[in-house]
Amino acid sequence: MATDSASPAGKPAGMRLPPGIYGVVGIVAAGAALWSLAPEAGSRGETLARLVEWAPALAHGFAMNVLISIGAIFIGTMIGLLAGALAMSKSFAGRLARLWIVAFRNAPWLVLIYFTTYVFPFGTTVPFPDWLKVMLGLALPASANIAEVFRGAVASIPSAQWEAAASLAFSRWQILLKIVVPQCVRRMLPPWMNVYAIITMGTALSSLVGIHDLLDTAQIASSTVARSSFTVLTYVATLVIFFAYCYPISWLTRTFEKRLRTA
Amino acid sequence: MDTLLHGFVTATARLGLDYRFLLDDYERVPFVQGLGVSIEIIVSTMTASAVAGLLLLLALRGRNRLVCGLARGFIEVTRNTPTLVQLYCAFLVLNMLITQWLHARGIDNPFKPFFWVVLVLSLHKAAFHAEALRAGFDALPSQTLEGAASLGFSRATRFWRIELPLALRAALPALVNNMVELVKASAVASAIAVGDVTYQSIMIWTQRDNVLALMLLILAFFGVLTWLVTLAGSWLERRYRIPGYGY
Repeated sequence: MATDSASPAGKPAGMRLPPGIYGVVGIVAAGAALWSLAPEAGSRGETLARLVEWAPALAHGFAMNVLISIGAIFIGTMIGLLAGALAMSKSFAGRLARLWIVAFRNAPWLVLIYFTTYVFPFGTTVPFPDWLKVMLGLALPASANIAEVFRGAVASIPSAQWEAAASLAFSRWQILLKIVVPQCVRRMLPPWMNVYAIITMGTALSSLVGIHDLLDTAQIASSTVARSSFTVLTYVATLVIFFAYCYPISWLTRTFEKRLRTA
Repeated sequence: MDTLLHGFVTATARLGLDYRFLLDDYERVPFVQGLGVSIEIIVSTMTASAVAGLLLLLALRGRNRLVCGLARGFIEVTRNTPTLVQLYCAFLVLNMLITQWLHARGIDNPFKPFFWVVLVLSLHKAAFHAEALRAGFDALPSQTLEGAASLGFSRATRFWRIELPLALRAALPALVNNMVELVKASAVASAIAVGDVTYQSIMIWTQRDNVLALMLLILAFFGVLTWLVTLAGSWLERRYRIPGYGY
């Protein structure tokens, strides 16, 4: 890295390997070590062939995770923006919105997923698939987090803009929607992506309520094949898949954050 | 006590909530034990995560580049994969291998699910603690560091006596937030059948079909715990605030 030494303060500038590379190397090395230690019923090649055989099922499972995460972040963003906007007002609705935010930020996600899966009176009249219930369960904490993101972004806009706009006879909602929010979008992007990555990781909990997601498929695969070496492979693969999906998001988040700070 | 319980059960029954399991010793006792187990998990994880977080931070700030890279990689993996998957990797893979290896030698596996939950959650939160502390170190005023160096303190003394105490204070809000997250995350223990409150509740509601009643109880339990942690956190923040900083 000869080019790095030119940059100030010893901090290498420009292209630098993201630390996640160490992570991938670490997982693969640890996985390989465990695999070599695991007792083997047949041949190693056969175990690998089994993993390839199960790969489509695992991919299908992960598609479920992605579907749930996208749906949850979509619903969560809608509710979150509304709750965040309402939470700024002093009205009764504002108080309700703040209660919503506090309640769903402090509840364990697993409990919320159980809640929407078992308690909500869905599915009695209209058939309601389980993955939709999990999606709603994750949308609740997502909305609370996004409301906070929104509040933080609005708070970062100088209040002089509110006063200036008010003196031009804009109403509060007009100021919010036409002046403040357009400036917030850029600032909200990094933390919003962060919430999305966390929600995606939360989708792994759906396996506990019987959704055939990646983790559930991995469990089925390992108990069907019933070989220690195969079990090691499937769970390491699960870890790698989640990492490969979530790490780029968090890396991009950090890049955007840096760009915002320098801008 | 009994009359109190009866009163509570009849009062809540009028609201449509079924708390009758509280009157049955076979269900109430495990539930109360579950509350205890949850608190045990949370307290042990808080302690272990603090120690592990400090170790990770030392690795990050150390001069050994390999150790630093490994610590960085560990933090990235921990932060970007689901806790549940990590728990399964530890319990269903590592624990299974250990059990098989010991079994071949005629020994029982001494590691219980409780141990694995505390281990995985501690390492998970340690990564977040280390990140928070690192940000705390980055926020240290450079004049203080230069002053300490010019007074002839050694690198180690500077770290333990000057940098760490200040960084800890700067990182306190983030650390408290991590602890709140930890309380919430402890519910995943139920996934590997540690008898925590969530697990005991699942056992009860599969029998009685009173999910809502138990759910409200669990949410209240976690609500009280997170509230206590936040309270302790704000007390610490007030107690250890750096004079001349903040508002």
